[in-house]
Amino acid sequence: MIRYIVNRILQGIPLLFIISIILFVLMMNMGDPIATMGGRSITRSSDRVRLTRQLGLDQPVYVQYLYWLIGNDWAKIDLDGDGIEESNGTRRGILRGDFGTSLVNRGKPVTKVIGERLPNTLLLMVASEIIIILGSLLVGIYSALRQYSILDHTITALSFIGYSMPIFFIALLSMYLFAILFKRWGLPYLPTVGMFDPQVGKTTAQVLWHMVLPVFSISIISFAAYSRYIRSTMLEVMSQDYIRTAKSKGLPRREVVYVHALKNASLPIVTVVGLDLPLLLGGAVVTERIFAWPGMGRLFLDHVSRLDMPVVMGILLLIAVAVIFFQIVTDIVYAWLDPRIRYD
Amino acid sequence: MKQKLFFVLVVTALVLTACGGGVATQAPVETEAPVATEAPATEAPATEPPAAEAKVATFIWTQEFDSLSPLYQGMWFSEITQQFWLCWAWQFNEKNEAFPYLLTELPSVENGGISEDGTQITMHLRDDIKWSDNEPLTSEDFKFTWEMFTDTKNTVSSAYPYDNITSIDTPDEQTVVINFEAPFSPWLANLWQGILPSHILRPVYDAEGTLDNAEWNLAPTVGCGPYVFDEWESGSFARFTTNPNYWGEPPKIDEIFVRFVPDDASQTAALVAGDADLGAFIPYSDIPQLKEAGMTLTTEPSGFNEGWFFRIDDKSHPAMHDLNVRKALAMAIDREAVNRDLLLGLTKVPASYWDSLPFYNDPPSENYPYDPEAANALLDEAGWVDSNSDGTRDKDGVELVLRYGTTTREIRQDLQAVAQQQLAEVGIGVEISNYDADLFFAGYGEGPAANGELDIMEWSDAPGFPDPDVYYWLCSEIATDENPAGSNWFFCDEELDALIQQQSTQMDANARQETISQINQMFHDNVYWVGMWQDPDVWAVGPRLTGVKFSGVTPFFNITEWDIAE
Amino acid sequence: MNMIMESTSPNQLVALNMEGLDTPPLTLSQLAWRRFRRHRMAMFGAIVLALLFLYSFGGSLVLSESYANHTDTSLRIMSPSAEHLFGTDSVGRDILARTIYGGQISLLIGLTAVVIETFMGILIGALAGYYGGWIDSLLMRITEAMLNIPEIFLLIVMAKFFGGKIPEIEFIGRTFSGSVIVIVVIIGITSWMYLARIVRAQFLSLKENEFVLAAHATGTSNVQIIFLHILPNSMAPIVVSATLGVANAILAEAYISFLGLGVQPPTATWGNMLDGATNYLESAPWLWFFPGLLILLTVLSINFLGDGLRDALDPRSRAI
Repeated sequence: MIRYIVNRILQGIPLLFIISIILFVLMMNMGDPIATMGGRSITRSSDRVRLTRQLGLDQPVYVQYLYWLIGNDWAKIDLDGDGIEESNGTRRGILRGDFGTSLVNRGKPVTKVIGERLPNTLLLMVASEIIIILGSLLVGIYSALRQYSILDHTITALSFIGYSMPIFFIALLSMYLFAILFKRWGLPYLPTVGMFDPQVGKTTAQVLWHMVLPVFSISIISFAAYSRYIRSTMLEVMSQDYIRTAKSKGLPRREVVYVHALKNASLPIVTVVGLDLPLLLGGAVVTERIFAWPGMGRLFLDHVSRLDMPVVMGILLLIAVAVIFFQIVTDIVYAWLDPRIRYD
Repeated sequence: MKQKLFFVLVVTALVLTACGGGVATQAPVETEAPVATEAPATEAPATEPPAAEAKVATFIWTQEFDSLSPLYQGMWFSEITQQFWLCWAWQFNEKNEAFPYLLTELPSVENGGISEDGTQITMHLRDDIKWSDNEPLTSEDFKFTWEMFTDTKNTVSSAYPYDNITSIDTPDEQTVVINFEAPFSPWLANLWQGILPSHILRPVYDAEGTLDNAEWNLAPTVGCGPYVFDEWESGSFARFTTNPNYWGEPPKIDEIFVRFVPDDASQTAALVAGDADLGAFIPYSDIPQLKEAGMTLTTEPSGFNEGWFFRIDDKSHPAMHDLNVRKALAMAIDREAVNRDLLLGLTKVPASYWDSLPFYNDPPSENYPYDPEAANALLDEAGWVDSNSDGTRDKDGVELVLRYGTTTREIRQDLQAVAQQQLAEVGIGVEISNYDADLFFAGYGEGPAANGELDIMEWSDAPGFPDPDVYYWLCSEIATDENPAGSNWFFCDEELDALIQQQSTQMDANARQETISQINQMFHDNVYWVGMWQDPDVWAVGPRLTGVKFSGVTPFFNITEWDIAE
Repeated sequence: MNMIMESTSPNQLVALNMEGLDTPPLTLSQLAWRRFRRHRMAMFGAIVLALLFLYSFGGSLVLSESYANHTDTSLRIMSPSAEHLFGTDSVGRDILARTIYGGQISLLIGLTAVVIETFMGILIGALAGYYGGWIDSLLMRITEAMLNIPEIFLLIVMAKFFGGKIPEIEFIGRTFSGSVIVIVVIIGITSWMYLARIVRAQFLSLKENEFVLAAHATGTSNVQIIFLHILPNSMAPIVVSATLGVANAILAEAYISFLGLGVQPPTATWGNMLDGATNYLESAPWLWFFPGLLILLTVLSINFLGDGLRDALDPRSRAI
C-alpha cells in the first residue's frame, strides 16, 4: 500500500510538469500585462520599454519558464536598460518555493495573494460538500426505498431540472427570489454581496448568513446529480442476493438498508465525491463573481483579465496539486473500504 | 467499521470548516501584523464594529486597488485615495484650478518660481508639514520621490514626468529647485502627485536595493493626509482613520470605509439599499434608480471623452485616407440620439478632443451634424459607389468594409450595434470585434489596435487633463518593428507633429493656447477623431453626506470639509 | 459534468432476448427503440428538443435576422408586450427574435463542439486502448493532465488565448463572428477526456475477444480492426456520451459567455444574453429569464434523452 502511494505521488510529478508547461505557454500568448499599466490611458512608450525589461517579459518563452521554475538569482539580468547584464536576479523559482510576486499588486508575494483568499473559498466548498453528501444520501436512499412512488418521480424530475441548470441561472434565480422578492414582500431577506456586512463587522453569524445563497447555488447541481446516482446505486445493491438473504433472515429494514446496503453502495459514492473537487472549484468561480465572495475564484478571474501570470500560474498549480492529492486519497479510501481491491 | 469511517470523514469535514472559518476570521489579524512593525498600530481589530459616536462614511469601489503606493499603482481607484492619506504638492478644486497644498504659492514666471527660459522651477514649501508619525516633510522627501521614480531598480508603473527632470537641488529644507532638460509645459498637471516619506523608505531601499517589495506599498501606515491608512483586507474592504498628527484642518468624518464590489450592479444595489454613502463611475442606466432612492448625482468633467480614433496608414483600409470618407463617418451616426437614449441625455457629443478644457477649445469646435444624405453625397463624390449592388459601396474592386474594434464594455457593444446599422444605411460595412482591455491595449506585436488590424478604434481617453498635452499623434511614437513600444497607432501628419512638439515646450499660456487652437482646428478639419459622448466622472452621493465637492483631477480635495448629517 | 457507466457488448443483449419467444427476434435497433419508447421522460425530452430546434431554426423563417439585430434605442428595456413578446433589451432589440437566433448559435455550438470532442475522444481512447504500452501511458498522462485542471479554468485560459484572432465565417446564410469558432474549438478541446477514458476501457476489454483474434488471424490491418470491428461494438456508450456532451457543451458555452469571454455581441447566444442582464436583475427580469429558461429546457430535454438512450442501449445499468 505504501509503495502504491509513493508510486502515485511520483507519477504526479511529471504530470505537474506537463500541466505547468501547457498553462505557461498558453498564458504567454494571451495578451500584454503591460497594456493596462497606464491606468486610463495607453501606457507611455518609455514606460512600456522599461517595464518589459524590468519584469523580464522581453525574454523568450523558454527562458521565462526557466526563470519561473528555478529562479534567476544565478543569472545576470539587465536592469538599467543599457544592454549590459549586470545585476543578479532576485527570484528563486517555484522549485525552491518562491512563487514570485504579483504583477498587478506589485511587490506582494503570490503566496500571500492566494493565501488571503484561499480560506474563503475553502469555507464555501467544504460547506457545500457536506450539504451535498448528506443531502444526496438522504434523498437518494429515500427515493430508492420508495421507488416509483409519486414522491420518487417528483424527486427525479426535480433532480433532472437541478443539474440541467447553469449555475449562474440558479444563482440569479435564488438572488431574485430570496433577496429581491423577499425584501419586496417584507420577509427577512438574504444578503447577496460579500462575506459580511461592513457596518456590523466580520462575525461568524454574518459570515454564515452571507454563505447561504452561494453555498445553495454551488450545491444544487451536484446534489441533484448525486441523489440520482445514489438512488440508482442503492437500487442495484438492493436487488442483490445478499440483501434478499438479509431480509429473509428477518433483519429489521433499517439495519438492512443502512448497514448492509449502504456500506456497499458507499464505494462509488466515495469515488464520485473524491473526484468532485474540480467541479466544485469551477462552480465557485462563477458563484464568487455573482455574489462578490472574496475567494480564489474571483481572484483568478480578476488576475487573468490583467494577465498577472505569477498569480494565475500559482492558482492553477495549487488546484492541480489539490486534485492529484484528492485522487490519491480517494484511491486509498476506496481500497480501505473494499477489501477486494488491491493495488500493487 | 465502515460506518465509523464515514462518521470520521464527516467530522473531519466539519472540523475543516471550523478551521476554515477560524482562518477566515484570523486573516485580518495577519494583515495587521506588518502594520504593527512599522508604526504604532491602531488597536481596533476587524471584528469589532466602530464605536457608536464615530462618524463613518462608506464608499463603494467597483475595482479593488492594485497598490496604494504612487510608485506602483496603476488604477484611478488607487490614485484617488491619495487625497485621504498622502499629499500632493498642489491640488485641484471643483473648477479644476490648481491651488497650493504643500507649497506656500504656486511657482510662476511672475513670482520667480519659473525661470525665464522655462527650464528651472523653484518651489517653496510650507514649514509646518508633518508626516503622520510627526516627522517633518522637507525638500529631502521631494528629492527622494524623484530618485525613486527614476531608479531603474524600481519597477514603477510610470516614470513620467520625472524622467524629464535632470536634477533637483535642495538648498534648504523648504526649497526645492527642479532642473529640466527643456521647458516642460505640462508640469502643473503631472508633477508631485504623491510624495514618498524618505525617512521610512530610504532605509528599505538601502537594505533591499529596491522598493518593489516594501510593505509600505500595500500598507502605507505613514502618510501626510488628513487620514491615515488603517487596514486593507483583500477582496473586501479598506479603512482609513483620522490622522491625529495632521498638520492642517482636521477632518469632520472620523473614518472612511471603502468597500469593494465586483460590478456595477452590486454597487447600485448597495447604494439603493442605503448601505453606502458614495459610489463612483455610475453607469447611466442606473441613474434613475439611484435618484429615486434619494442619491444626488454629480458629474465632474475629468477630460475624458469617448470617441473613435482612426488609423490612416498603409495598414488601414484605403478609404480611411480619404477625408470625405471620414467626414461621412462622422455624419452617418446619430450621435445625439445615442446620447439621448443610451446615456439618458446626461452627456453631450464632444466636438473636440479638448472639449473639457474650454480655454484650449476656443473658439469651440463644432460637431458634424447627423446627415445621412450629405454622407451619401460625400461618398459618391469620393468615388465610393455600390457598383455590384451588394449593399456596400466599393471602388476599384475594394469593398468599403471597415474594421471597428473596442473593449467588451456593454455600452460600447451597444454603440457598435447601433453604428453598424446606421453605417449600413449609407453603404459602409463594418466588421465588429471586441477584446478584453488587456488585449485591446496590448502593444505592437500583440494588440489588434497596435498591429493595425483595426481601422476604427473606440475608447475613452483624455489629454493630460487639466493640461492639454497629447503624445499619441507624434510621428516618433509610431509603433514599428524598431519601435514596438510606440503609442501612435494612428497616423503621422508632419504638420500636426510639429505643433504637438511645440506646445509641450511653451511655458506661456497664451502662446500655448494659440498652438493648441491650431491643433484643434486641424483635428476638426481633417476629422482625425470623432467624439461619441463625454465621459465625466459620475458620482452618486448619499443623503447623509454634506459639504461634498468633487474635482476632476483630485476628486477628494475637500475631504476635510465633508460631514455626516444624521 | 455527468457520470457515464460502462456497458456490455450489445451482442449479449440480443442473446438475452433469443430465449423462448414466439415472435421473430427483434434486431438490435428495434429492441433499443422499444426500450426507449417506454421511457416516458426520454420521449418527453425528445419532443421538447424537437420543438426547440423548430423554434430556433424554423423561427428564423418567420422573423428575419435584420429584425433581430435592429436597434432602436428609444424602445430600450421595455417589458413584455403584445408587440415584443419577450420584451426588449438595452438597445431596443426584440428579445424573442434574439433568442431565436441565439438559439441557433447555442445549438450549433453544442452540436459542432460535440463532433470535435467525440472525434478526439475516440481517436485517443482507441489508440490508447488498442495499442497499450507506452502509447497508452503517454496518452493517459496527457488525459489526466487535462482532467486535473477544472474545465472552467481551462475554458477561461483558452478563451483568452484565442481571443480575437479568428475572422468571420459564413454559414447557412448567416455571418458568424470568429469567436463562435473559437468557442467550438475550446469546448471540444476541453471535453474529450471523459469519452477517451470510456472508449479506452471498451477497447481494453474488447480487444481480447475472439472476433478480434480472428480478424488478426486473417491478416486484417490494425486500422481496419479498430474502425470496422471494435468501434461499431462500442457505439452504445459513445452515443450516450455524445448526447450528454451536447448538453455539456451548451452549458459550457453559457458559462463562458456569461463570464464575458465567449461569443461577443452583437451576435446573440443564450449565454451572452444572460451576461448583459445581470445589471438589470431586479429592474428587468425578462432580460435573463427567457434565455435562462431556454437553456434549462434544452439541457433538460437532452439529459432526459440521454438517460433514455442509456437505458435503451445499455440494459445492465438499470433495473427495468
